[in-house]
Amino acid sequence: MTALTLENVSKSFGKVEVLKDIDLTVEDGEFIVFVGPSGCGKSTLLRVIAGLEEATSGEVSIDGEKVNGIPPARRGIAMVFQSYALYPHLTVQDNMALGLKQDGAPKARVAEQVAKAARMLDLEPYLKRRPAELSGGQRQRVAIGRAIVRDPKLFLFDEPLSNLDAALRMNTRVEIAALHRTLKASMIYVTHDQIEAMTLADRIVVLRDGRIEQVGAPMDLYNDPANRFVAGFLGAPSMNFFERLPGTRAGEVLGVRPEYLRPEQGGRLRGTVTHVERLGGDTNLLVASDAGEGFAVRLFGQDPTRVGDDVAFDFDDARALRFDALGRRMR
Amino acid sequence: MPKPHVLIFLAPAVLVYTAVMIYPLFDTLRLALFAADGQERVYVGLANFRRLFLDPLWSDQFWNALGNNFWFFLIHMLVQNPIGVALAALLSSPRLRFAAAYRTAIFVPTILSFVIVGFAWKLILSPIWGIAPSLLDAVGLKSLFAPWLGKEAYALTTLALISVWQFVGIPMMLIYAALLSITEEILEAGEVDGITGMAAFWKIKLPLILPSIGIISILTFVGNFNAFDLIYAAQGALAGPDFSTDILGTFLYRTFFGFQLQLGDPYMGSAIASAMFGIILVGVCIYLFGIQRRLRHYQF
Ligand SMILES: Nc1ncnc2c1ncn2[C@@H]1O[C@H](COP(=O)(O)OP(=O)(O)OP(=O)(O)O)[C@@H](O)[C@H]1O
Ligand SMILES: [Mg+2]
Repeated sequence: MTALTLENVSKSFGKVEVLKDIDLTVEDGEFIVFVGPSGCGKSTLLRVIAGLEEATSGEVSIDGEKVNGIPPARRGIAMVFQSYALYPHLTVQDNMALGLKQDGAPKARVAEQVAKAARMLDLEPYLKRRPAELSGGQRQRVAIGRAIVRDPKLFLFDEPLSNLDAALRMNTRVEIAALHRTLKASMIYVTHDQIEAMTLADRIVVLRDGRIEQVGAPMDLYNDPANRFVAGFLGAPSMNFFERLPGTRAGEVLGVRPEYLRPEQGGRLRGTVTHVERLGGDTNLLVASDAGEGFAVRLFGQDPTRVGDDVAFDFDDARALRFDALGRRMR
Repeated sequence: MPKPHVLIFLAPAVLVYTAVMIYPLFDTLRLALFAADGQERVYVGLANFRRLFLDPLWSDQFWNALGNNFWFFLIHMLVQNPIGVALAALLSSPRLRFAAAYRTAIFVPTILSFVIVGFAWKLILSPIWGIAPSLLDAVGLKSLFAPWLGKEAYALTTLALISVWQFVGIPMMLIYAALLSITEEILEAGEVDGITGMAAFWKIKLPLILPSIGIISILTFVGNFNAFDLIYAAQGALAGPDFSTDILGTFLYRTFFGFQLQLGDPYMGSAIASAMFGIILVGVCIYLFGIQRRLRHYQF
């Protein structure tokens, strides 16, 4: 059974076309992550799936049923917003229960669902508090709880962790992954954060300017990107692109990830170090090459290289990806 | 003890406020404890208040005015504020076109002078030259017409409704601002939960604007118990017919300054003013300590 199918979905605001011909299939139980630069239409696509925006054209089906024109509450989805969007006047318990009550669910079932979600998210001590009396991480969990109680077929998350600090982000990320394993529900997750995308996703959807650039498992996208945009978007520091290396033809671009560069006397890449980032586990170097193309290098462990040092690097040709002048991958 | 420069910065405001607010207030309260004896002013303690509340010559008028004032206030609470809230809810609907035009049109009467409003409505409702009888006639409802401002049973209610017409823009604006400050995502979260339309209003928006409604109520209370001008402009200081539209403001005016055959009595006038001050003070205290504490202000 497919959890979600998008067929030729387009969305325009007035004359501005924000989504163009999106096709996508999400299988039951899959964790899908939308990534892409700011303004590429990730949130809009999620809102079209939720029913908060209507697609201008194309078909949206959830769980095998066409849902165009059906209001969000009857699509079998639940959404977690970036700002949490909790009801400020209701307690944690009522925040989670409101949707079910509105549905006319029997009291016993409402209580049972809320208790289940509270247990799962460690919210039991806070059930009587209002959102203003909770920390950011707790509010986030309430927002997730509010989604869980509805037993949706499809969870939608719009950058749910972006208001949390780094440590909490890591914890919540792990919790969301655990939640996905427990609930076995399909989830769609929008993020800016590469680490979230790589660690959570079964498949990543890379969007640019309202189009899908590539869909695939994280490591497939990382190792085998379809084009220069995807290659450059995933990975930090991002992939190096060279046009002026000996052996590249005019118009052809060679892409090499920073970790595949190794120090080598007389290597093809020579230059001067302009910046060093020591991360403890890794050391990142920024190098201004003699050929005029800057590049980044990722060395494992701690490295004594300093700014101003002259360095030389080389790489295995098998590790290099080749792109044509339009950015398409040449295989 | 605050530092000297703090006192210096506070001084202008304190002096001005004392000169124009505190001193007159306490002088009025003091004046209420005296009475005229020929040309002399004599201290009589609470005798003025005893007359005001118990001597039928005064108390009949006082209780009549107080009762009328409560009715005036009740109409505002039951008509003006719900309509204001409803208008604000309609105006904040994103699908409404020309919202800015409606908003302005509804708010304009608020900036008109009482004299104009009182006079204009007197003309409109006049049985002789008014357009109300002919308008009702045009739709075949002439039998419904009555000289509303001239009948004891209707006059006060009619005036209250005129006042509602004039001031409904104020609660509308305050509530409108409060509604706009509710973040879009909360309403969308409601939409995902199936709470849309009227349910969204009752379950999400209304609880979030309750603090504003509380403020409007107390503003209405203070405004209504200090009201004077509309009644004076429409019905004159005698607040006819037969004092049926008399409220504390007009009663105070007649007593303090005198009217027609009645001589002005600043001491009884001060007693009435003090009583009004006391009533408003009690009302505001009930609101501040009884109601406002229970209303929570939410940040989004
Ligand atoms: N209601 C709207 N009316 C007009 N244009 C809109 C509307 N909503 C979004 N847009 C436009 O659609 C484009 C995509 O917006 P969207 O919010 O989907 O981007 P995003 O990928 O979520 O970006 P971010 O990562 O910054 O959240 C933007 O150019 C935005 O200006
Ligand atoms: Mg977004």
